[in-house]
Amino acid sequence: MEGSVNNTYTIKSSFFKSKQRREKIVNGIAFVFVVIFAAAVLLPLWWIIRSSLMSNGVLYSYPPSFIPYEWMVSNYSKTLETFKYWTYFKNTFTIIIPAVTFGTITAIFCGYAFARLRFKGKKLIFTLCVGTILLPGMVTLIPLYIFWTKIVGLGGTYWPLILPFLTGGGFFNIYLIRQFMTTVPKEIDESAEIDGASRMCILWSILVPNIKPAITVVILMLFIQLWNDLLQQLIYINDMNKITFAIALTNFTGSFGTKWNLAMAATCMVIAPGIIIYLIGQKSFVEGIVLTGIKT
Amino acid sequence: MDIRKQVPDIKGVLGMNNGGQIKSGRHKPFLTNSRKEAITAYLCLIPAFLGLSMISYIPTLSAFVLSLFKWNGMTSPEFIGFDNYKEMFTIDIYFTDSLKATLVYAFLAVIGSMIYSLFIAILLNMNIPARPLWRSIFFVPYMLPAIGVYTTWRWLYELNYGLFNHINRMLGLPPVKYLESPKNVLPSLALIAVWCAGNLIVIFLAGLQNVPGVYQEAAEIDGANSWQRFWYITIPYMSPIIFYNLLMALIINLQVVTPALAITNGGPQNASMFMSYLIYRYAFTKYKIGYAAAYAAIFFVLVGIFTAILFATSKYWLFYEEEGGK
Repeated sequence: MEGSVNNTYTIKSSFFKSKQRREKIVNGIAFVFVVIFAAAVLLPLWWIIRSSLMSNGVLYSYPPSFIPYEWMVSNYSKTLETFKYWTYFKNTFTIIIPAVTFGTITAIFCGYAFARLRFKGKKLIFTLCVGTILLPGMVTLIPLYIFWTKIVGLGGTYWPLILPFLTGGGFFNIYLIRQFMTTVPKEIDESAEIDGASRMCILWSILVPNIKPAITVVILMLFIQLWNDLLQQLIYINDMNKITFAIALTNFTGSFGTKWNLAMAATCMVIAPGIIIYLIGQKSFVEGIVLTGIKT
Repeated sequence: MDIRKQVPDIKGVLGMNNGGQIKSGRHKPFLTNSRKEAITAYLCLIPAFLGLSMISYIPTLSAFVLSLFKWNGMTSPEFIGFDNYKEMFTIDIYFTDSLKATLVYAFLAVIGSMIYSLFIAILLNMNIPARPLWRSIFFVPYMLPAIGVYTTWRWLYELNYGLFNHINRMLGLPPVKYLESPKNVLPSLALIAVWCAGNLIVIFLAGLQNVPGVYQEAAEIDGANSWQRFWYITIPYMSPIIFYNLLMALIINLQVVTPALAITNGGPQNASMFMSYLIYRYAFTKYKIGYAAAYAAIFFVLVGIFTAILFATSKYWLFYEEEGGK
């Protein structure tokens, strides 16, 4: 391989030189585009931060200033007077933490069954599970609402938002875990089995540590799914003391329609936990998603 | 579920690599290894399988059943056959609006986010400095809660003081009604979906990095220019990933509901009256449960048609590598 490259290089060195130069130019142009687009992606975020730190007078003046010359941190305390941030925070994570935990654990169990165990009806069950990806959540919304509130009687609690995650939060997560587990050599399982390890022991102490990227992605996906939800929370939560970020922010920006600086302060506070989690787990999130892209 | 009697005697086949746990005496133990394995499997699957049928299959069927009833959620339901559908197709003024809004939005959002994310992924796949940093930046919007995204963009689109209209004013253009005009509202909302497509970028990028360089080099030696190499090598090689992203983007964007809930309430002039939002409105603000279920059933068919089209056409453009495909 190297030999052939050298060979062509000596024969066509001039061609390669111009090619190299062209490549440099192309890469340079690509870099410029990347920087422009990245700036465009970040601009909205900067815009809300800067808006949240301005007085309304400055906010509505023209020409707009890109950087607030007076940092009105007081906007935040003013927002917190009516926007009960920590209550919403507690409520939101009361839903997210159990849901993500349940979802991840069941996804691991199911992924394991599909990846490693032999049983009757595996194909059928697998196909049925794949099929659920194609069933839109909007179709099941009304029957599920009736089920949770009229039949089970869990209306007004968080359970209708949490319990569905006992299914691994959608088949995609199960599939992901299965795909990753199949890439772990089976011989590892077998040697552990000979040493007397039980199946659960193999699963939790050998397989799970080996598929950490997939588990990270599953946790992330579950988190985002809950983090993005407004509709379900709107339907099931009707107690003002139990509302989540999503409902609270909708109400807040609705009622403070003209006070954009306070609305933006609230928005910044609501998006902050997600950004912080992202900054902490950034590397494993992105790399996990990269791996899932390759393995699905 | 009586598992035990369903498991046939397949020990002979499956028992091959049992880890020697059957100390084969004269009496075969009842719990053979393969039976144990099957029982473990069913135990592992019970929560998800029961759950998936409870929250997917049964409710989907129930939606179809409910659609045949007239019910306000309080009094006892009344069977009315296909009257809900009749009303929807003939009297309901929202039906065509919602169909149009859903399809136009999904089309714009899917095409937009696919082109944008593939383009950015190609740029990021080039030899540029600090690639992980840029990749992380493009991923950020995906991590924001939908409601935060929509409040942010509502402010950017604001008629007098929003960022975009400031920019328009600087360029000497008249302010644009991004969310207030029926003509602009869907493209404006679709742009938000494009902005959030960071996950697609990351998946595309992973796919691009997996295209083997050998083919590229071979084609280059044969005199293919970079456009030809992209079109005839990269794209076919990427087609499974394109398919996957397309399917996911389609399913998600057809189900769009949050922008209507958070910003537009279906307006202006019903231009963003998405079908999902209409289902929500009929069921939870007008308490026409049966009627909303009829909408849900039609919506199911709609999503089904598009998914079926995607799968049916996939064999013409989807290429899997012959060997080593998983």
